Parts: sequence; structure tokens; C-alpha cells
Amino acid sequence: MRQVSNYTVGAGLVFGAYYLGVFVAHYTSVPIPGSLVGLLALLGVLFAFPLLERHVASFAMAPLKHMSLLFVPAVLGVTLYWNDIVNNALALFVAIVVTTALSLGVTAWSAQWLLSKKENVDG
Amino acid sequence: MVDALLQAFTFKGVFWLVVSVLCYAIALMVNRKVKSHPLAHPLIITALLVGACLLGSETGVVAYQQHASLLHWLLGPVTVALALPIFRQWQKLKHYGWRLLLSITIGGLVAPVTAWASIYLLDAPIAIQLTMLAKSITTPLAMEATAHIGGIPALAAVFVIVTGVIGAVLSSSVFSVLRVSDRQAQGIALGTVAHAVGTAKALHMGDDVAAMATLGLCINGIFTAIILPLMFNAYFL
Repeated sequence: MRQVSNYTVGAGLVFGAYYLGVFVAHYTSVPIPGSLVGLLALLGVLFAFPLLERHVASFAMAPLKHMSLLFVPAVLGVTLYWNDIVNNALALFVAIVVTTALSLGVTAWSAQWLLSKKENVDG
Repeated sequence: MVDALLQAFTFKGVFWLVVSVLCYAIALMVNRKVKSHPLAHPLIITALLVGACLLGSETGVVAYQQHASLLHWLLGPVTVALALPIFRQWQKLKHYGWRLLLSITIGGLVAPVTAWASIYLLDAPIAIQLTMLAKSITTPLAMEATAHIGGIPALAAVFVIVTGVIGAVLSSSVFSVLRVSDRQAQGIALGTVAHAVGTAKALHMGDDVAAMATLGLCINGIFTAIILPLMFNAYFL
């Protein structure tokens, strides 16, 4: 019973924040995605009422874990842009494969350097 | 949401939702069998299986996207739910402070700038160039940010996913070539550059890696989605 009510409250908070975000993004001229406004709103609620974490978690953990499933319709859209992709195959390959590997390396390397400095300062 | 829900309760809506969930369940099983190799990412397997079902039943992709629009719509609320992992990792964020933020900023700048530069040099159309700017952030944010700056949202989704998969596949080799052994640093890079797919990979490397990946994913996503549209508004007005 407790679980059910936690789940319901959590779902209410997440969807409430989402619609608030969509509403704000739609009716003001802030050029920020609505779901992002909702994320910040929910984060604000969690900081104001940390006890609600349990409720949000009981609703949100499963969808967060299985987010991959939600991307399927968007990914299959790749077939609709097949011509654009083939026409720009080399550019896309370089932009996606090469620069992603490069960015991963640069980011990981600089993060390691920055964080190790922190450990040294602390130690 | 009303449209998505109405679709979900038509016969075809229910049918394709069930097919998608079944394919995803199979994908999870396969993924477990091969010990979560990134090429066997559940998303890739699910997409291939659903694609095969579409071919077999002679259903178009656009029709499928409409039938399964509930899945796509749920991405919005799930993005909002990312507030939870940020909240949980707040202590880490405070502990590492600006060093963590700077690491994420580096990834958040290097990834889109190098991608854009290479595609600009190779003469791709402007809409593709703009779309590429959002490739390293999580799908729902990328699609919305792309729409704001005049790119192609559907293409953004594909770029984002492929970037994530490539990042997850290549990450182990990149880290060992550059001798990045710090697990926290690996997590930051995976989340910042390879967003949710990278974070999923980080989850298999351990909770501490996943925590950093989540921060990278969320913070880079938030800042990119705020800054890109603002930058373009300022530039074009």
C-alpha cells in the first residue's frame, strides 16, 4: 500500500514538473526545451523537500533504467534520411566516429588530470 | 500526450507497443548473454528486431512511429526524471566542484566543435551542420535544441544514438591507449560525450563510474540545451 502511494506521488511529481516545464516553455519566450525546465523544477522540489526522493525514486528508477526502449521509434527514423546520410557519408563518418573518439579521449584525459590534482590537494 | 495515449489504445498501437517491448526483452537477454558488449547494446538489437518486424509486415517507419508514439512521448517525462540522479550525485558534484564542471565543459565543447568543424570542412549542408552541434547530448534535449536552431530533430536523434554507441564501443580502447585509468574520469567522459548510451555502459563498469557519467550526461545536456538556442537567437536577431 505504502509502495503504491509512493509510486503515485512520485509519478505525480514527475508528470507535474514535466507539464509545468512544457507550459512555461510554451507561454514564455525562453528558448529552452520544456522538459529541461521540468527537470530543473523537479530538482528544485527535491532540494526543498529531500524526503520526496523516495517517492520520485519509486516511480522513476524503472523508466530511467529502460530508457533505451524509448529511443527505438526515433532511431528507426534513420531510414527516412537515408539519402542525406549516404550523400554525406564521409563527413558524417568523420564527424561521428573520429571526433567522438577524440572527444572521449580529451575529456577523460583532462578529467583524470584535474581530478588527480584534487586528490593531491586533499591528501 | 492525448494523441500518444489515443494511439496506444488502438489495435495497432497496442500491437506495436507489445512488439517493441518483446523485442526489447529479447535484446536484454542477448545483451546479458554476451556480457553487455556495447555493440550488442539493447537499443541496437531492439531497433534491428523491430525493423525486421516492420519489413515482414510491410509497415512503414512513419506509421510505426505514429503507432508507438507513446514510447517517444515518454522521453519527455523521463528526461525530467533525470533530476533524481543529479540530486543523488550532488555530494560528488560539491566534492569535486569546479574541477568536475571544467572536465564536463571541456567534453561539452570539444565534442560539438570538432564534429561541426569536420563536417563543415567536408562541405555538408547547413541543416546537417546545425544538427551535428547537438550530437553529444541526450536525445530528448538534442531534438528540442535542434528544432530551436534550425536543424533536423529526427536526424539529431540518429546522430545522438550513433554517437553514443560509437563512444561506448570505442571507450575501452581509447582509455587504454591514453592510459586513463581513473574510473571517475572514465565515467565523466562517457556521460559527457556519449550521453545515455555511454552512461548505460558506465553502469556495467560500476556504480561509481555510472554516478560520474550521470553527472556528465545531465550537466552537459542542460548547458548545451540552454546555450545553443540562446547563442543562435543572439546571432540571428
